[in-house]
Amino acid sequence: MRTLLARSSLRHLGGHPWLTALSLLGIAMGVAVVVSIDLASGSALRAFEQSTDVVAGRATHQIAGGTSGLPEGVYTALKLRPDAPDAAPVVQGFVQVEGGNHRTLTLLGLDPFAEAPFRDFSTGGAVGDVGTLLTQPGTVVMGAKTARALGVKAGDTLPVMVTGLRRELRVSALLEPAQETTERALESLLLADISTAQEVLGMEGRLTRVDLRLKGGEAQAATLRAALPRGAELVQTSGRAGTVEQMTRAFRTNLTALSLLALVVGMFLIYNTMTFSVVQRRGMLGRLRAVGVTRGELFALVLGEALMLGIVGTAAGLLLGILMASGLVGLITRTINDLYFVVNVRRLSLEPFTLIKGLSLGLGATVLAALVPAWEAARAAPVTALRRSTVEDVSRGRAPRLAVLGLIILAVAAAVLAWPTQALLPAYAGLFAVLLGSALLVPWVTEKLTVASARPLGALFGPLGRMAARGVTASLSRTAVALAALMVAVATTVGVGLMVSSFRGTVAAWLESALQADVFVSPPSLVARRGDSSLVPGLAEKLRSTPGVEASGSIRVIHVRINDVDTDLLAVDFAKGHERTYRFKEGRAEDVWRQLEASPDALIVSEPFAFHRNVHAGDTLRVATDKGPHDFRVAGVYFDYGSDVGTVLMPRATYEHWYEDRGVSGLSLFAAPGQDVDELVARVRDRAGGEQALNVRANRALRQASMEVFDRTFTITQVLRLLAIGVAFVGVLSALMSLQLERAREFAVLRATGLTPGQLWGMVSLQTGLLGLLAGLFSIPLGLALAYVLVHVINQRSFGWTLQLVVAPGVVGQALVLALVAAALAGLYPAWRMARANPAMALREE
Amino acid sequence: MPSSPPDSRPLVELRAVTKSYAEGDSVREVLSGTSLALHRGEFVVLLGRSGSGKSTLLNLISGIDQATHGEILVEGRDLGRLPERDRTLLRRERIGFIFQAFNLLPTLTVEENVRLPLELLGRSGAEASARARELLGRVGLETRANSFPDRLSGGEQQRVAVARALAHSPPLLLADEPTGNLDEETGGQVLDLLEGLTRQGNACALIVTHEPAMAARADRVLTLEHGRLVDRPGGARGRGTT
Repeated sequence: MRTLLARSSLRHLGGHPWLTALSLLGIAMGVAVVVSIDLASGSALRAFEQSTDVVAGRATHQIAGGTSGLPEGVYTALKLRPDAPDAAPVVQGFVQVEGGNHRTLTLLGLDPFAEAPFRDFSTGGAVGDVGTLLTQPGTVVMGAKTARALGVKAGDTLPVMVTGLRRELRVSALLEPAQETTERALESLLLADISTAQEVLGMEGRLTRVDLRLKGGEAQAATLRAALPRGAELVQTSGRAGTVEQMTRAFRTNLTALSLLALVVGMFLIYNTMTFSVVQRRGMLGRLRAVGVTRGELFALVLGEALMLGIVGTAAGLLLGILMASGLVGLITRTINDLYFVVNVRRLSLEPFTLIKGLSLGLGATVLAALVPAWEAARAAPVTALRRSTVEDVSRGRAPRLAVLGLIILAVAAAVLAWPTQALLPAYAGLFAVLLGSALLVPWVTEKLTVASARPLGALFGPLGRMAARGVTASLSRTAVALAALMVAVATTVGVGLMVSSFRGTVAAWLESALQADVFVSPPSLVARRGDSSLVPGLAEKLRSTPGVEASGSIRVIHVRINDVDTDLLAVDFAKGHERTYRFKEGRAEDVWRQLEASPDALIVSEPFAFHRNVHAGDTLRVATDKGPHDFRVAGVYFDYGSDVGTVLMPRATYEHWYEDRGVSGLSLFAAPGQDVDELVARVRDRAGGEQALNVRANRALRQASMEVFDRTFTITQVLRLLAIGVAFVGVLSALMSLQLERAREFAVLRATGLTPGQLWGMVSLQTGLLGLLAGLFSIPLGLALAYVLVHVINQRSFGWTLQLVVAPGVVGQALVLALVAAALAGLYPAWRMARANPAMALREE
Repeated sequence: MPSSPPDSRPLVELRAVTKSYAEGDSVREVLSGTSLALHRGEFVVLLGRSGSGKSTLLNLISGIDQATHGEILVEGRDLGRLPERDRTLLRRERIGFIFQAFNLLPTLTVEENVRLPLELLGRSGAEASARARELLGRVGLETRANSFPDRLSGGEQQRVAVARALAHSPPLLLADEPTGNLDEETGGQVLDLLEGLTRQGNACALIVTHEPAMAARADRVLTLEHGRLVDRPGGARGRGTT
């Protein structure tokens, strides 16, 4: 670009520091939201993958067992084979440190003599005596870093909780590995001899898996597979990481979608800023054309300006994103822990790819948003051939045509959204089209509304009221752009807010109908939404016979491989004489229950399971059982909001037919008529005694606890919504402020002709208030439409849940307040500046 | 006073040019079949009442606006047949334009405003600065080179506009009421400057004005009345052109 033109651009930006700063903030926030979400969720996943990789070591295959692991004999038999491969037995489980912020650690039980081909935790130094690991039961070693964080030294005792049972471990040595990845993995690991791990985790005589290195590849795997006992499976280790990726895909997609929505809002703000800077300089651009600057040069000038803003804003956004990510990583980790698996994230991994993605998104969005204004600038007529009034005439004349185009785009959006597909891309395209179509309706609707409002405003506030209203239509080319940007920004906050409230409402209603028993008993679980811990043997029977219990049911939660994917299987023993509260999406309730009771080959699946695996009533599923893989018939699909990856359910009798496990994960107790529930809770606690720490909760308390978990998992969404509100607020502020600052000369004329500073302030406030009100009003129908798309299309396609759209008046009210408060603030500075300015100076300024 | 006789080939030629504007349902014709030839070395004044179409005529000759009918040739090139980009480049290279409202760029200093046409032609650096300083010296504003336009009086701004229009020594100078905003004395200075620089550079100047007194300086005086041009000799030369 020519130096002088570039200098002129820079001075223009520098001459409007507030507006420049606000648009930079808009870009920076948009980029920061995307980058921080990406970094935080990426760090959580990578932390999990790294620890999985280090724990899995150099194993190529694994032999995994059924519900309660593998019998030790599988390993012994394997080692006795003439073609015995490299193999190492592993016992693995989670323990929670007492104190130390209740940090969860993975307890890994290994056979040191079999380890050499697989894992190497011993490179580097160690403080203490590693040898006692084998000789002394209950001994563990851990990373020096973790020990420091927990305040543990070699030789100390480390008390831990395992599914409600307290155990004491002795830390014999602290490891300081040379490799950083091993050091990282050790941050959440406790290493023990296999027998110690078996004892602590209650897995005597059993193994979690056997790690293998098969040099003969799949051929050797096939030979070994044939010799395995029933219920044992030989799988490739690489398949496991994919499961994690798949499990959290919907969750991450949704987060990314929400963060992209923030970027779209940011784009509207950039568009607003750039359009503004062009219309504001229409005269100057015309002069440049008159002295011989070509259209191409003007186009490049405006695009160059945008690029400059984009570079600075994006750089700031990247830094802000990294800062925000360190805050968000905790929230995301907690959600993943609540929903999917146990993961410890101790540091943020700054992936270059994410940073490059943020950079290209920021610059791309800025340039894309600036294309239309740059094109407008290039079209600028030389000198004064096009006067301001002509521009506004053209703008008003164009409004009905734009409205028609907007309606056409909305119709296309509706068609795209109604298109029966599960793909997410058309859903997002439809969502964007809804935003665009609505934005195009704004000029026409604004003109009609402000013309109608001139009379009542005149009646209320006199000539100033009429001037305020007319000012909006007189400069429609600018006000419409600002209003459209505001509407999109505010509507986004409404849409996301309503999505969360709808989700919450649906879950609350579901819990209300699903939780019928009076008292629920379960051991504490490390993954809040997956109650897969066990009650100690015999305790379930003892608690079921508590006096005052009229009827009881039980649930068992285990992980099984269904069609080769890890899945939660629920085995339910229904309380006799009480209604079964499941509602079915596919299948009639009576038929489904009859089939489940009559046949040991029938099960039911939850709605998300049916959605993700494309399974329907009448289909067949291959489930790994202790008797080997077996085909089950799907009797029905039930509504369930407990897991987004889906669960399958079978009656306890069916479960006991196919599995050897007799454990119980939770109990539901119905109080006898007249029995006080709180008293029963106390009695159950008494009866459980100190044998195992248990959660014994009354219906209401469990519902509350479930909603707390729900709210916790949506904290991240709420944070995103707050960020979107922040971006919207900045948008309202910058758009309205620039509108008013741009009218400095007009205000100077008014001041010169006798308007007092107070009257000027009143007029500016009236106009920004009117614009804020319009933006707030426009955002409500658009926000509702966005919520509808998010709830019924995007969530449905991401998670497979059927949700009810609940319109919370509070969320809608917030939108109006947001628009009005930001509008009121936006009027303050221009009014203050103009009230203080010397009108003569303002009149001289261009 | 003319330093050299006009070239035989016209610098600017208008052939039966008509320009009309739509105003609601009606059409207003500003120029009706106007023909004109301007030559190098001529200092021409264009008179006419407000709204008679003087500014329109300048816009048409500079290629900012386009004729409804007829042909406009600048140095033999038909503007109607030139693509928009070529018209802009022609304006950049061959025309200097002085606007009634100065039209300086508020974000550039006085010197930068004068340097702008040179820089657009790829002449930047010391050479452009020296030329800008020289012109500012000639219009008496060398001390204001680093000021921004809004710090200058109307007369000073107009002198900057004159310096900018002349910076790249264009053969054709168009001025739209260059003294309209100035007092008599300052207006006189600006005109002296314009006339002097035009004649020295063997350029052609077409000056739109309201002031009949200016006719005394001109080689030719054109008057726009009801969309038609009346051409008569000015006080500076006793020879007329039809």
